[in-house]
Amino acid sequence: MTELDLQDLLASTSYDPMIYWILALLGIPVLSFFTSGSMKKLAPSWSSGLLGLNTLIAAYLAFQHWHQPEVLIKAPWFELGDTVFNYSFLIDRLTLIMLVLVNFVSFLVHVYSIEYMRSDKAKPRYFAYLGLFTFSMLGIVVFHNLLFIFIFWELVGLSSYLLIGFWFEKKSASLAANKAFIMNRLGDAGFLVGLMILYTQFQTLDLRVVELLMGFSEIEDGNWVITYLNAGEIVTHAIDSRWLSAAGIALFCGAVGKSAQFPLQIWLPDAMEGPTPVSALIHAATMVAAGIFLLARVFTLLDGQAMEVIAIVGAITAITAAIAALSQFDIKKVLAYSTVSQLGYMTMAMGVGAYNAGLFHLVTHAFFKAGLFLTAGIIIHQLHKLETDEVKFDAQDMRVMGGLKNKMPLTFICFLICALALSGIPAFSGFLSKDAILLNVHAWAIEKGGGYYMFDLMAFATVILTSFYIMRVVFLVFTGSFRLPKLSNSPDIENGLKEGNKWLTTPALILTALSISLVFGFTMNAEHSWFSESLITPLTEVPASFAAPAQAALLASAGDIHAVITAVSIVLALAGLLSAYLLYKPGAKLAERFDEKREPLSPLVQVSFYHWYMDVLYTHVILKFILTQSKMLAWFDEKILDGCVNQLARAQVVLAHLVSMFDRFIIDGFVHLTAYTTGKVGQLTRSIQTGNVQTYILSALAMLILLLLWFAF
Amino acid sequence: MPVEHLLFLGAALFCIGLLVVLTRKNAIAVLIGIELMLNASNINLVAFSHFDPDMLQGQIFALFVITVAAAEAAVGLAIVVKVYQYFQTADLDQLNQLKG
Repeated sequence: MTELDLQDLLASTSYDPMIYWILALLGIPVLSFFTSGSMKKLAPSWSSGLLGLNTLIAAYLAFQHWHQPEVLIKAPWFELGDTVFNYSFLIDRLTLIMLVLVNFVSFLVHVYSIEYMRSDKAKPRYFAYLGLFTFSMLGIVVFHNLLFIFIFWELVGLSSYLLIGFWFEKKSASLAANKAFIMNRLGDAGFLVGLMILYTQFQTLDLRVVELLMGFSEIEDGNWVITYLNAGEIVTHAIDSRWLSAAGIALFCGAVGKSAQFPLQIWLPDAMEGPTPVSALIHAATMVAAGIFLLARVFTLLDGQAMEVIAIVGAITAITAAIAALSQFDIKKVLAYSTVSQLGYMTMAMGVGAYNAGLFHLVTHAFFKAGLFLTAGIIIHQLHKLETDEVKFDAQDMRVMGGLKNKMPLTFICFLICALALSGIPAFSGFLSKDAILLNVHAWAIEKGGGYYMFDLMAFATVILTSFYIMRVVFLVFTGSFRLPKLSNSPDIENGLKEGNKWLTTPALILTALSISLVFGFTMNAEHSWFSESLITPLTEVPASFAAPAQAALLASAGDIHAVITAVSIVLALAGLLSAYLLYKPGAKLAERFDEKREPLSPLVQVSFYHWYMDVLYTHVILKFILTQSKMLAWFDEKILDGCVNQLARAQVVLAHLVSMFDRFIIDGFVHLTAYTTGKVGQLTRSIQTGNVQTYILSALAMLILLLLWFAF
Repeated sequence: MPVEHLLFLGAALFCIGLLVVLTRKNAIAVLIGIELMLNASNINLVAFSHFDPDMLQGQIFALFVITVAAAEAAVGLAIVVKVYQYFQTADLDQLNQLKG
């Protein structure tokens, strides 16, 4: 029981000038969306300029408000009967970090795209979509109302769909866009269910109010009970306590879709059909981070069971995707699977309660993965220029690359540093955040014990896999000899290959610089980075009997193993690096035979190459099941329902015929008979009226005579 | 002269007139037949006035009948002329527009 009144909680906050900054942050990308679509030559520089301005605003806000208390702005949006729907903004440190991250990466991608999309005819549309995407993502970040987050969540899904399908003339691109959209819808359906559960219980979707009321809810006799005042009246609402876990898992479903977690992760590798800068922005740095961000926002509402589901799903995603990345030929596919795998790490971190570590990895990953994508984009872009009418090849295929180190030294350095960050080698940012996650996962496994060590093992195994697959790319792409001249039988082709120009390399260099661990603090321990020190893990608000154990307590007991964990993770990363070197160094057997390989023959490699046959599973099992079911339903519809309707119609027609016969013969018969009789009588009487005067006179005379005779006798 | 003779004459004349009215096709002939019948009635009126003490009422009435007959003939002939103009015939067998 709380003395808090829901109406007071939902009341508007007093005026705060921050609202103008928020409106500016949201408005500028919208402006870019609405204006750059109709521009021609100016669109790239105009929208990049706008995003640069937005980045400046975000950076200014971050510096101004970093040490200020959080700002919460609340006001009514619309009323439905007695129910008031609020909108609310929250500016806290997490929001500021995300504002800077989204705007900054988006700005770099804009700048990079100026060169990358230079020869594309539809580039105004491209930049407009980028604006729409940035707007949607910023909406998720600044709003603190689940309804609004959901609205912007859908907008992010839409802009992702538009950008994946940007080259919609290509069948595969439009199919990939559809796939991403549908897979996201599946997750969003879960998200919506979560919103419904929360709304049913608390009658509001304002996150701050939901958190507050959640803190006052209790578990009584297996029921989840909340009692509060609503306009002075006591309101008690109780539902089965399982809904509490269901709400957390349902909200997580949204994150599963957007952050490409098992089992909906199959859309992300296909999303690589979009332009490479888009892959960097959306499918590596920001959009896929929305799921993690959502988990952070609803962190206090997640109960122990939901957290466990989240951790397990994250672990499964991390290892399956890392295995899939081992054997790909397409450079972007490797990075895509790597993204899925790293998102699995972040999800796992959230699931084990490592709020800081998850968000830290989100930020470091955003920088080094965007860097990897942009450098891969440079390679693809430069290789594309070699394509002529005679020489056709797939510019994303690593089989045509090799030895690019000498041709593109700057790109090589950027890629290498970002790859080292991804592998978790000390001195690079990925090491710090991944180390923090591994420590937390291990502490979690110790607490849970038994089978949970399996997920711990998965997390550690992913480290070695990660450094192996990314170093494989480094060795195959940058060392050895350039394979394209040999494959295309045109030895002179390599002379055309040049380093990307400054529009391409500058954003990549900036992102590379941000992948160095010094950016986050002069330390080997994530806990001592400014990032972890400045974010406070929020305390769970769910009733105590359902709450997950606080991670801080676990870490305290596991603190002494930190050094061991760090050592193990470094050794594993180095082992991955070394094995990749041994297998794929110039002159090694696998590297020499690499260009001959068409399709892996060994079943184990095939499992990796086809991503655990997930796509096949979807098409052959789930799709087939759905199609068969639809066919059955169609049959039922056609034969049974339509049959019934048709038979009914036929019966009615027969009945109608009978009625018409009754009408025709009986009713009409009477009418006709009457008319006939009348006609006959009329004919009879009119035969007297001959029209001949003399006849009349004669009959009058005859009558007179008869009358006289009658009088006489 | 006994009155019976006059009555026989009147009756004969009436029958002739009636026969003319009933049998003749021409409208003018019919009108002539009507005149005969009127004159037969005049003969009767004059004959019966013999029993009147003043011996005048029947004769005066006969004079009225003659006047009315003249008027009737004028109207009848005018109608016949109009009928002839309209139908281009005065044949009563063909003037049966009122046949039902």
